[in-house]
Amino acid sequence: MSEQQFEPNIIAFVCTYCTYAGADLAGTSRLKYAPNVRIVRLPCTGRISPMFILKALQKGADGVLVSGCHPGDCHFTHGNYHARRRWMVFRSLLEFTGISPERVKYSWISAAEGSKFADLINSVTEDIRKLGPFDQYQQMIKDAQSPATL
Amino acid sequence: MITQEKYRTTVKELLASDSVKMVIGYKPGSTPDRRRPLFIRSSDDADQLVLDSTCITNLSGYLVAEGLLSDEKRVGIFLRPEGIRSINILAAEYQLNMDQIVIFGFDSTGREVRPLEGRHSKDFSALLSDIKENSPQISKEPLLESIERMNEQERFDFWQEEFSRCIKCYACRQACPMCYCRRCIVDSNQPQWVNTSSHTLGNFEWNVVRAFHLSGRCVQCGNCDRACPVNIPLRLINQRMAEMVLEGFDHFAGLSPTQEPVLASFKKDDTETFIL
Repeated sequence: MSEQQFEPNIIAFVCTYCTYAGADLAGTSRLKYAPNVRIVRLPCTGRISPMFILKALQKGADGVLVSGCHPGDCHFTHGNYHARRRWMVFRSLLEFTGISPERVKYSWISAAEGSKFADLINSVTEDIRKLGPFDQYQQMIKDAQSPATL
Repeated sequence: MITQEKYRTTVKELLASDSVKMVIGYKPGSTPDRRRPLFIRSSDDADQLVLDSTCITNLSGYLVAEGLLSDEKRVGIFLRPEGIRSINILAAEYQLNMDQIVIFGFDSTGREVRPLEGRHSKDFSALLSDIKENSPQISKEPLLESIERMNEQERFDFWQEEFSRCIKCYACRQACPMCYCRRCIVDSNQPQWVNTSSHTLGNFEWNVVRAFHLSGRCVQCGNCDRACPVNIPLRLINQRMAEMVLEGFDHFAGLSPTQEPVLASFKKDDTETFIL
């Protein structure tokens, strides 16, 4: 291969009861999926503040995945309903400020959906790879590291 | 003028009879078309009160000043309809007890000021519902429309350009009646969520975070927009988010003191199209 393929960095914020267990199932089922995702496990999607997403981008992620239990299946009965509203608002806010909504993905994956998890990681990685590195944000990060101009 | 005189008399009576301990209103500012907040505790000072179409600042933020309402005495305040919505939100978020607030409502068209009937927040519920019903018909600001027509990259560039002027003075936060947190997220440094240097990244994060925290709470009083020393059109983001919660959740902020905050409640059938 003459040209190296772009390998995106993707951060996944997942809830421990569904998606993390789903990821576990994918692992114990020996399913192969793209190695680009770093998983951060949280108690519930309701715990996932939009600040986490901004923080991931601030630290150089090319994409973010947020995933939790299907509606109705939340371990805490309604954490994911709260999260869903928050995502809807946050997504339209990012869209309005010019951040591509394609960079931040959301999904519901249950503990039984190991294969869905593997497929999703593959497709998300593919999508972000097509979008390429998050140059707009990388430029901002670079600016923030250089001394301020007066 | 008639409205101003009428209110001066009312304020005098209320202060003299001790039914309110303080009235928050407007007095002349540094130029003829500027007003500054006025806090009066004695009926003798009521003549300083000014009320005309240039009284645009939303004063409701002063109500949550530390200790002001803790003696359970009543406080009077001059409010436009947006201001009444703000205190409804503050009451819904348990920041104040509505029974302690005496409202002197007013509104203006052109240079004409007219009083709004009522003294308690519940007297204005019909007025606020009307405003909600009429809000979709109000024509949008041309700039907001042009931003919505832009593509992603153009929008990104537009906001980067605007935010690049931000000096992180946090005047928007100080002026906002909704920003009452004892410790703001930008002031917390363990962990440091937002880059505090005034580089575009930190500026972008700060403004996005503030807009998110105001989603479904902002009443578009314009305090932040007027406070911004570098004229970032902050109202546009907040307007867009207010539209979003109205379209998405039929939520119009500040309708009543018992309205559930939009991001602290949910419906099982909230409809989205983007979750995989």
